[in-house]
Amino acid sequence: MTGALDLALRQATFIIFACVLLYFGLQAPGFLTPESLGNIVKQSAFIGIAAIGITFVLLTAGIDLSVGSVMYLAPLIAGLAMRDFGVGVGGGLFIGVAAGALLGAINAFFIVRLNIVPFIVTLATLFAFRGFGAFLTSSQQLDFPPAMRAFGQATVLGIPAPILFFAATALLAHVVLARTEFGRQIYAVGNDPEAARKAGLPVGSVRARVYVISGACAGLAGFVLISQIGRLDAGFGEGREFDVIAAAVLGGASLFGGVGSALGAVAGATLIQTVKTGLVFTGVNLYLQPILQAAIIFLAVLVDSLRQHRLREAKRRVIRPAGETGP
Amino acid sequence: MTANVPAGADPRPEPVRDRALPRSSGRRIGDILFSDYFVLYLSIAYFLALIPFLPTLSTPANLANLLSNMWPLLVVAIGQTFVLTIAGIDLSQGAVAGLTSVAAALLLATAAPVAVLGNAPVWGVFLGETGGLLAGAPGATTIGVALILLIGGLIGLANGLAVAVLRMPAFMVTLVTMIAVGAFAIWLTQSNNIRDLPDNFIALGKGTLVSLYFGEAETSEVARRALHAFVTWPMIIALGVAVAAHIALNRTVFGRYVFAIGINRKTAEISGVPVRRVIVTVFVISAVCAAIASILYTARLETGRPTLGSGNFLLDVIGATVIGGTSLFGGKAKIVWTFFGVLFFVLLSNTLNLMNLSAFHIDMVKGGVILAAAFLDVTRTRLMLERTP
Amino acid sequence: MSTLLAFDGLSRDWFGVPAVSDLTLDIPEGSTLGLIGQNGAGKSTLMNMVGGVVPPSRGSMRWKGAEYAPRSPADATRRGIAFIHQELNLFTNLSIAENVFIDGFPRRFGLIDARRMHDVTAALLERLQLTHRPETPVGDLAPGERQIVEIAKALHRAADLIIFDEPTTSLTPRETARLFDLIGRLKAEGRTVVYISHILGDVARLCDTVAVLRDGRMVDTGPASAFDTERMIRSMIGRDLAGMYPGRTAAPAAEPVFEARGLTLSGVIEDVSFTVRQGEVLGLFGLMGSGRSELARVIFGLDPLERGSLTLAGRNLAGGPAARIAAGLAFVTENRREEGLLLEAPVAQNLSLVALRDFARGALALLDETHHASATADLGADLAIRANDIHRQSVKALSGGNQQKAVIGKWLMSGPRLFLLDEPTRGVDVGAKFEIYGLIDRLAASGAGILFISSELEELTGMCDRILVMRRGELGPAFVPPFERMHILAAAFGEAVA
Repeated sequence: MTGALDLALRQATFIIFACVLLYFGLQAPGFLTPESLGNIVKQSAFIGIAAIGITFVLLTAGIDLSVGSVMYLAPLIAGLAMRDFGVGVGGGLFIGVAAGALLGAINAFFIVRLNIVPFIVTLATLFAFRGFGAFLTSSQQLDFPPAMRAFGQATVLGIPAPILFFAATALLAHVVLARTEFGRQIYAVGNDPEAARKAGLPVGSVRARVYVISGACAGLAGFVLISQIGRLDAGFGEGREFDVIAAAVLGGASLFGGVGSALGAVAGATLIQTVKTGLVFTGVNLYLQPILQAAIIFLAVLVDSLRQHRLREAKRRVIRPAGETGP
Repeated sequence: MTANVPAGADPRPEPVRDRALPRSSGRRIGDILFSDYFVLYLSIAYFLALIPFLPTLSTPANLANLLSNMWPLLVVAIGQTFVLTIAGIDLSQGAVAGLTSVAAALLLATAAPVAVLGNAPVWGVFLGETGGLLAGAPGATTIGVALILLIGGLIGLANGLAVAVLRMPAFMVTLVTMIAVGAFAIWLTQSNNIRDLPDNFIALGKGTLVSLYFGEAETSEVARRALHAFVTWPMIIALGVAVAAHIALNRTVFGRYVFAIGINRKTAEISGVPVRRVIVTVFVISAVCAAIASILYTARLETGRPTLGSGNFLLDVIGATVIGGTSLFGGKAKIVWTFFGVLFFVLLSNTLNLMNLSAFHIDMVKGGVILAAAFLDVTRTRLMLERTP
Repeated sequence: MSTLLAFDGLSRDWFGVPAVSDLTLDIPEGSTLGLIGQNGAGKSTLMNMVGGVVPPSRGSMRWKGAEYAPRSPADATRRGIAFIHQELNLFTNLSIAENVFIDGFPRRFGLIDARRMHDVTAALLERLQLTHRPETPVGDLAPGERQIVEIAKALHRAADLIIFDEPTTSLTPRETARLFDLIGRLKAEGRTVVYISHILGDVARLCDTVAVLRDGRMVDTGPASAFDTERMIRSMIGRDLAGMYPGRTAAPAAEPVFEARGLTLSGVIEDVSFTVRQGEVLGLFGLMGSGRSELARVIFGLDPLERGSLTLAGRNLAGGPAARIAAGLAFVTENRREEGLLLEAPVAQNLSLVALRDFARGALALLDETHHASATADLGADLAIRANDIHRQSVKALSGGNQQKAVIGKWLMSGPRLFLLDEPTRGVDVGAKFEIYGLIDRLAASGAGILFISSELEELTGMCDRILVMRRGELGPAFVPPFERMHILAAAFGEAVA
């Protein structure tokens, strides 16, 4: 009985996902077709890639509010290089990701070196990065060379480019998190930073690298979406940090650190997009959609809190010494 | 602890007392750094330093503008200060402001164009050609304001219950509220603004009690634009909220409980502090403050606007509060700090505007200032530790 | 046999209070040393020095013949010292195998070689007879199983010295038997073991050498064969220092002020009944993990009660802490920094926290600042809290003894009928202890009941009218003066003494 409850709490996202698919499938016959499902994945690539990046940060119990601005500034730098120096799309992609990583490194410097709380640092860089981008462009829209859109519309074996990038990022992130020493140390640091320090893990370096990764992913996410539309507005990515965090949390990442996965972030971003698309299919007013998304996120967070609460309760029930700490 | 001056009533620096011994200049610099008035000194220094470069800065018109920008932000920031004091955060204030702005219009508008709003779900229910629900009713504005505050309070109640009883993290709870309430406000009017608000409501955001005139004394007629608003309704309201908040935080049992929870929730619980009730109350205060600020903004803009609190609203609020010196870790806050933080932030925006910088450049500078403030706080805390024996 | 680890005149002070003084001891390679002593005897501090958590104040250590001054816990681990602590250093969100390999994964093509990692771990687990798969998350394991994972870590690193610190307190008898079996095998492999425990029979059975600490000093050492339980207990009990305790000024009344009947919380406490009389100081003695703090938490309403009833001054106790405080209960927890104080707040605000509502005036509950200032100043003076300015100085800046006086002090304004004092003198110096004892006597003389929980037997025998002993969540016999410390200690250890 309680075992079933714990299992349900643990797999909440997938249960919710299944219910959502089932519901819309029954409501709108066209919903469960391959085209519409493919479109959902394509459209969730943008938030999804950034959500994978921020999952690294959330795993260490940190936060990155600057992703929305990095999504704007990093592709902007790439776009300037492409427009003014004739860099190709491939080079632009590289510059975009590298610029994102550099912006993440700036966050990391303030957080790890100067020991300022992540919330404040990334709140400040949220302002600063966007401001710097506006300074570079004088707040003008930036038009990318036509090659950019061609790149964004390209398909490989019938698979659209955004899905390829989404899948590649997810696969790479999954391998890093699940199969490398660095990945497992991220989980350790998020679970118990004090124990990680005692075990001699490079806690500072782990914490710094997750912000670099988050920045790089945000840069890539921005670049991929811009390749769909071919231009960059001054307000691009504004407020998206909350969508990204919501997708990661919906995918099972805990704000308390130590819990979450790359595939969870993929599921979270895709779930949000599924709900959006499903609501369009069933003709729900456009402005009402965020409310339903919010309800689903609320449910996921509530489940996480209940799970934490049960864990604490289970711990208390065993007679355990408080520990002989030094006088 | 705090100087016995209600916030804002007398923002003049007060000499640091109780330390009559002669001290080195290093210690004196330290005193300034640790003083409650540090951000005020900083604002004054910044202001004086820029006057030579920006002559318009000190003109009465600009000062009046600066003040009028300050009051609504101050009210929201005060609400946020309470939440930060218990080591929480309220991301939903902007959405509350948006919803209450729409609510104000739906209740009080005296007319509405069917061409613009005919498609909104509220049309025919709350709003018609003749205006909002309470349009023309006796005491409409009073009832309307009460209902707006009630709406804000209910949202705060929901936030507070989720945090205190369901033990969900404040960040996620208020994020969800932000998304849902924000979307609801936009849905209500299908993203349209509603104008035609009654004059006595607009007075809450623009009404002037005392105006100043700088010019010839023997003129029989003074042009309207030569008059500069000095004492306005928003000023009275904001200072009233500030004084009330200062008293609540520093002079009441409730305020002590707020600090106790922020410093150590476990100790507070074991000492019999009604932790849950205080947390819920704090979130209600935060949302009600957002609703009050929404009234000030809505009245000033003469428009009910669902997107009132979107964009950088939230970041301005948290930035101003943190620059004042309030800690995100809880237990360290003062209303005067928030007052000076808001003053500095508004002054900063104003000067950057006068420099003809774009909104985005202003963002960049604001970001840098928030970082500098945070770094200063880390340094201050370290120095403080070294100072105490 | 060569010496593996040696201490030479090792000392460590905490804020001027010595925790370990001038300790000299050799641990030969391949030996098993039993380290015993009462709580506060200095065992943890000694182990923290060995583990690189704190540096010694004076003296030195040698490891394998060379100077040894570990800079961090990781440093100590690298040198070949493994700790199996009461609180385990495991990452609950990682698998058993990952915990074993956390600071150095086997790699293949840059990725973790999961197969090798699991093979090695599986072999270790088999050796340790733990029937879990290497990929099982540690969070799914029982406490005893987690301990075995710690041992697997130690074996994997080929640690030369394995230190067990109270390893059996949270284990079932079966798990304990398996652990002892394991330790026996480690010994047979020639590894050096230090075993710290309150369970004296286990120490006698497992170890070749016994060392007894008391007040930070080595007071008795020798081969285990020469130590029977009686000698161990005798060595752990110090002589009374003359004048350590103020005399009691009043005898307790006959009427009970508090009654507990059949308190039960499964897995924690079992059928606990006792009464406290007006003006009585009732001691509650027990080892760590015996359930004494848990009992106090249940009485205070922090943890739920499954069965049983509580009466205070004739009224039934129910509800949460706030309701029980109103009924006349006060609780000084064993963790003053985490649960007792608002460290960053001024002393005065700590003193008035519990009774804050008494300073409220009018409908707005405005604080009467004048009254508040004078009342807290009076209380501070009465308690002789040494601070520059109790209205400005944060309690964090006070010494341990003065902090503890503030923790007790915050309850005094609410006029409680029963005080639950959990380790009220932990971590305070001798002078402050004396003051706290005086305070306890004053409270009792004023008619309040006191439940004095402590793991220092001396202070209980010095202060109490009666002493109860708790063991494994149950109350044992009650002792009355003249107190036989041997018998009380034996009851707590669950040993029979002739």
